[in-house]
Amino acid sequence: MAFFAEGREVQSFATYGGARRGTPVSSYIRVHDKPIRVRCDIEKADALLCFDASLLEGKFLATASPKTLIVVNSRRTPAQFAADLPGYRVLPVDGIGISQKNGLGRIVNSALLGAFARALEAPSLETLTRVITEEAPKKERENAAACIEAYRQIDAQLRKAAA
Amino acid sequence: MSTKRVLLTGNHAAAWGARLARPKVVPVYPITPQTPVLELLTEFQAAGEFDAEILTPESEHSVMAACIPASLTGVRVFTATASQGLMLMHEVLHYAVGARAPIVMVNVNRTIGSPWAFWPDQTDSVAQRDTGWIQYYVENAQEALDTVIQAYRVAEGVSIPAMINLDAFYVSHALEPVAIPEQELVDAYLPPYRPAHFLEPGRNESWGNVVTQEMYYRHRRDIGAAMDRVPALAVEADRDWELATGRGWGAIERYRCEGAEIVIVTMGSMCGTARDAVDALREAGVAAGLVKVRLFRPLPSAALRKALAGARDVLVLDRNFSPGVGGVLHQELRAALYGMKSAPQVHGYLAGVGGVNVPPDRIVHFAREARASDAEPEPVWVK
Repeated sequence: MAFFAEGREVQSFATYGGARRGTPVSSYIRVHDKPIRVRCDIEKADALLCFDASLLEGKFLATASPKTLIVVNSRRTPAQFAADLPGYRVLPVDGIGISQKNGLGRIVNSALLGAFARALEAPSLETLTRVITEEAPKKERENAAACIEAYRQIDAQLRKAAA
Repeated sequence: MSTKRVLLTGNHAAAWGARLARPKVVPVYPITPQTPVLELLTEFQAAGEFDAEILTPESEHSVMAACIPASLTGVRVFTATASQGLMLMHEVLHYAVGARAPIVMVNVNRTIGSPWAFWPDQTDSVAQRDTGWIQYYVENAQEALDTVIQAYRVAEGVSIPAMINLDAFYVSHALEPVAIPEQELVDAYLPPYRPAHFLEPGRNESWGNVVTQEMYYRHRRDIGAAMDRVPALAVEADRDWELATGRGWGAIERYRCEGAEIVIVTMGSMCGTARDAVDALREAGVAAGLVKVRLFRPLPSAALRKALAGARDVLVLDRNFSPGVGGVLHQELRAALYGMKSAPQVHGYLAGVGGVNVPPDRIVHFAREARASDAEPEPVWVK
């Protein structure tokens, strides 16, 4: 929605059927400047957002190439991921910690979106927090704050790596 | 004419199409992956934006059994289903055609059990091809919205029900930008339904009496004559829609077919992927094109013969499977092209059956393979 708000063409779909509480689900998003015609799964992703580090393996990880940006919800450090998953660009963010701090419990969506947006350098933090504030079913301010905090956590991580 | 562009899934776009068409009765039963259609319509109704009676009978069979008499009272009727739900309706689908009830139904194409699954596969609706329903297959959410409205024009023009099919997942659950036309535009395009005959106490008209052989024969012939009028009517309904909205989809669509040696023919969401494959093939110097079959019943055979004349190879991609025969569109197309002077050879590939992923580079590969070989009489399983 934030990409669309910035004038981009988008296509997003999620697997259903197995979409029950507690089971892994996956969803896809394509973003382009031209209308998106292709209708198939994404076999090679430019970026991955992983809600639980235990899922970062097998079929899901196989969609990543060395260039793929991987943002993962984890307390572990970038160095630990670099050691465990050599050849991948993994950016961990403490989504749970940030969400709990902002009164959102274990609902990590807004935090992870903030982290992902920083890693992708799009959409802008301003658009994203506006859309989150408009669309969050409740705790609009807390969700926006979690988004901003996670965005900054990845920002600091990337600056440190570049330094 | 102002329109708003919003993000909608194919299911929600179909529900918007139904809302704009102003049906009076909506019998419906939930089933994955169609349920969001029903959910959004009930939300519209709860908000006072949808003036229809929504019935929730105990099964899809009862849904269709409710649609038919509702339609026969002379009001517009909408419903939606998928897969097993469509299977359960099968008996009454025939009845709806016999009753000349121009119901419009959205079907989300999903694998049929068993085994149980939720993936895109068109076997559910192609298996209904002999019921006499008009059948459309759409590629994206916008086309789903537009086609629901167009389908009422066509169905009511010939008193034959119409089914709009959208692939599970890639269309039904794909969120994408959709333009919602103004209600006034749709009202001008689709006037209220006023059939010459309808059931009402005191009018001394009825439906469902036992008939003689001669009457039955005549009735079937009339249905055939009505179906024969559909391709031209569908083209006209689409042209008028294009004049009003700027969007036309055709009964069939030719994409980059100029001078094409190999033409891919398919239906539904795979058309979008095939467009990217055609572009890639053209870029690599292969004269490839795509013919999208949007209207599948009645099959626009004359238009297909014309569109495919001059091609050396036709590659049909079927996301359905009829055991013992193969891909249904493959069979249909071979029949449509049979007897044509220098007819193209028709390759039938079973691609995407069961929802197997078919990306553009696979279609490029299939096309190269087909071009390099003689068409097999039997269907070819590919993935």
